[in-house]
Amino acid sequence: MSAPILEIRDLSVGYQTERGYLQALRNVSFTVPEGKIIGIVGESGCGKSTLISSIIRLLAPNASIGNGAILFKGQDLLGLSPGDMRFLRGNEISMVFQDPMTSLNPVLTIGRQMADVQHRSGASYIGKRSRSLMMLERVGIPDPASQLGRYPHHLSGGMRQRVAIAMALMTEPSLLIADEPTTALDATLEVQIIARLRELQRDFGCSILFISHHLGVIAELCDEVIVMYAGEVCESGSTREVFLGPRHPYTQRLLECDPARIPQRTRHLPVIEGSLPDLVDVPRGCIFRERCAHSMARCATERPGLSAGLHLSACHLPDLAS
Amino acid sequence: MSALLAVRDLKVRYPLPGGFPFRAGGKPSWVDVVHGVSLDIERGETVAIVGESGSGKTTLAMALCGLAPVLGGEVRLDGRVLERDRNHRLNPDRKRVALMFQDPVGSLSPRMTVRRLLAEPMRIHGVDSRDPGREASRLLSLVGLGEEFSNRYPHQLSGGQARRVGVARALALSPDLLIADEPTAGLDVSIQGEVLNLLSRLQQDMGLGILIITHNLNVVRHVADRMAIMYLGRFVEQGDSQQVFSRPRHPYTAALLSANPSPDPDAQLDRVQLVGEIPSLLHRPPGCEFHTRCPRARERCTASFPGLTGAAGEQAFNCHFPMD
Repeated sequence: MSAPILEIRDLSVGYQTERGYLQALRNVSFTVPEGKIIGIVGESGCGKSTLISSIIRLLAPNASIGNGAILFKGQDLLGLSPGDMRFLRGNEISMVFQDPMTSLNPVLTIGRQMADVQHRSGASYIGKRSRSLMMLERVGIPDPASQLGRYPHHLSGGMRQRVAIAMALMTEPSLLIADEPTTALDATLEVQIIARLRELQRDFGCSILFISHHLGVIAELCDEVIVMYAGEVCESGSTREVFLGPRHPYTQRLLECDPARIPQRTRHLPVIEGSLPDLVDVPRGCIFRERCAHSMARCATERPGLSAGLHLSACHLPDLAS
Repeated sequence: MSALLAVRDLKVRYPLPGGFPFRAGGKPSWVDVVHGVSLDIERGETVAIVGESGSGKTTLAMALCGLAPVLGGEVRLDGRVLERDRNHRLNPDRKRVALMFQDPVGSLSPRMTVRRLLAEPMRIHGVDSRDPGREASRLLSLVGLGEEFSNRYPHQLSGGQARRVGVARALALSPDLLIADEPTAGLDVSIQGEVLNLLSRLQQDMGLGILIITHNLNVVRHVADRMAIMYLGRFVEQGDSQQVFSRPRHPYTAALLSANPSPDPDAQLDRVQLVGEIPSLLHRPPGCEFHTRCPRARERCTASFPGLTGAAGEQAFNCHFPMD
């Protein structure tokens, strides 16, 4: 196995709120191996956004990192000075955000923004321009030369997102973080973007951390998947294993609820009963206990750890799938 | 008996920003966003409209509620034409059509409590309600929210709860037709199920006609009786949803349906690839408007607009060379 690009160890992050300390992430650990696409799936409030904000250190002012380490190529990001961190962002770690309309500057041309991203390269204006053209071509933008003089509002949503991807890959980062990059797009464009990301990942050899709540997209794109619930990792493993043989009851329910997996047309769609636990006053024991159909006495007192192996699950039930 | 909603050849035209710099070079000063749409909805029936962004889905919904400038065509509700009177006010039938907006939180005023939000439609339409508070709790219980929500502000609601308040607000005037614009966008799978179940329960109880606008095909497959596929402001295909899913005739429908990402990592995907970008509404392609991206386009497609072809059942499509 190759050395991991990113390793998260025992990370806990919380927010100071009016009601008290909200524990948004609790003891999260996982690794992103080199050249792999890792998907993070989970519902709103599961801590996906807090997790990426902690990796790139753009947390809200009221957030604090309790414990843990974020190792990027063996170096703990939490120990870096803001200046060193700023150097890493963009060069080594870059990001594609959910909404391409708000992540691009509306008053600057595409060409200007793409040149600005190359600020550190020290290349000449001509050099930056030709590199921008090459990147736009790589992401499949037709007639790139004329696009450089246009503004973001001239482009369609799919084209904007491709420009954002081109900009993120411009500095050839080792890690690309994509935060729900296809949520704002339609099915046809979604598929185009996924195919493009896969192709670019192969060419550039970077690792991708792909965040989504769309199970279909994860299944198509990712090599491995991490399932999160209420600030904890509840299952992780290869996409195939997790989707075909989910071990954690939450993953099972989540997959059952996806209308795409219900072949028979039904008027009554399944739902996960109950609601997310209060993360200010985190319940003892298993975090999913209140909504779980298999909970037992042990679940109320003891928090299940992640099992060992390649396909991990944080549940007391031994091999639910079999 | 006439259909609950009957739309005939509806056209919506928006003016473009005027003035010299924008209109120089002989560019048109308007854009046809909805370009001749006909549709029927019966009581108790769910019809879905699917299509890419910018195809005119939302504008169509707005036009049905009198919120967009209608250029031509007519909208009939129970056989009566829905139109503006001399004072530009919509006739009383207007309150029988309710719209659920796309953005659940953004469509609720941040300065009103849920109780006031629910009473607002009644106040505007002058529906006498002796006890607005009681009416608000009745609506809340209808959508499965507790009494305690009536004093909350929109920012204190989760996405799913805000959605439910949106449903309750749409039901405040007991409409016959509910138009739901992207009712599940941005919701997690389990909450998405809750909202859709709620809609289908209300439909059963109240005999509502529902028009769902979405680009989530899995939702369409489960809830819609009939579906229409929209491209550049026109329907390219429409019909019974099971029939359309099993045998799409228009190449665009086929491409759209095959682009649905499958949550099975082993799925063998046989996709109809579309090339190019959606053309601009300002420069509609001649002939069949889809020919610029169509894998089956031939010479005839660039020259003549394909008329409506009817197929088995209620399926109908606009294509010279339909899929088998």
